[in-house]
Amino acid sequence: MLLARVVGNVVATQKHKSLAGQRLILCQPEGLDGKPAGAPLVAIDPLGAGMHQRVNLSSDGLTARNIVNDPRSPARYIIIGIVDEVTA
Amino acid sequence: MKLGRVIGRVTLSVACSALKGARWLIVDPCGREAVQTLANGQELSTLSKGPSPVVYDDLGGGVGDIIGYVEGAEAAAPFENPTPIDAIDAAIVDQVFYNPFES
Repeated sequence: MLLARVVGNVVATQKHKSLAGQRLILCQPEGLDGKPAGAPLVAIDPLGAGMHQRVNLSSDGLTARNIVNDPRSPARYIIIGIVDEVTA
Repeated sequence: MKLGRVIGRVTLSVACSALKGARWLIVDPCGREAVQTLANGQELSTLSKGPSPVVYDDLGGGVGDIIGYVEGAEAAAPFENPTPIDAIDAAIVDQVFYNPFES
């Protein structure tokens, strides 16, 4: 799982049928210091995270397939939590 | 999904039987700068560093398109039979909204 920040969203008309109706948001993985790390990822957002909120991003395909309710979906990254606080 | 720009296509003369007739795209992965360029509505001109993955495509992406591709075991999930696929085109992106966070 990754700590990430919501930095935008993506519009796609032509997509795998399992992604129809899903919110596709752009997440920037971050280090503990809040600095961006690596390239932004497109994730499915079943929780309705807001712009610039910190989120917990899971790369578990099985969970993603359950959430989009299609056992043949290529969905992978999915938001599984909205972060309140990070202590280290 | 990761974002990438289609920069070419691959055709195979001999392929494993599960992959006959498949369409393959060469993709240049989009980093932060590339996503910012896309969100500004500009064309990407430079290639990113690192390798360019070959992605299975059944949506009909073409050279110049921005796609969302999935890497890893999940890429083979849409297939009924075991398929040796590692990356798949899951969405053809029309528009990217990007507003990086500045602390």
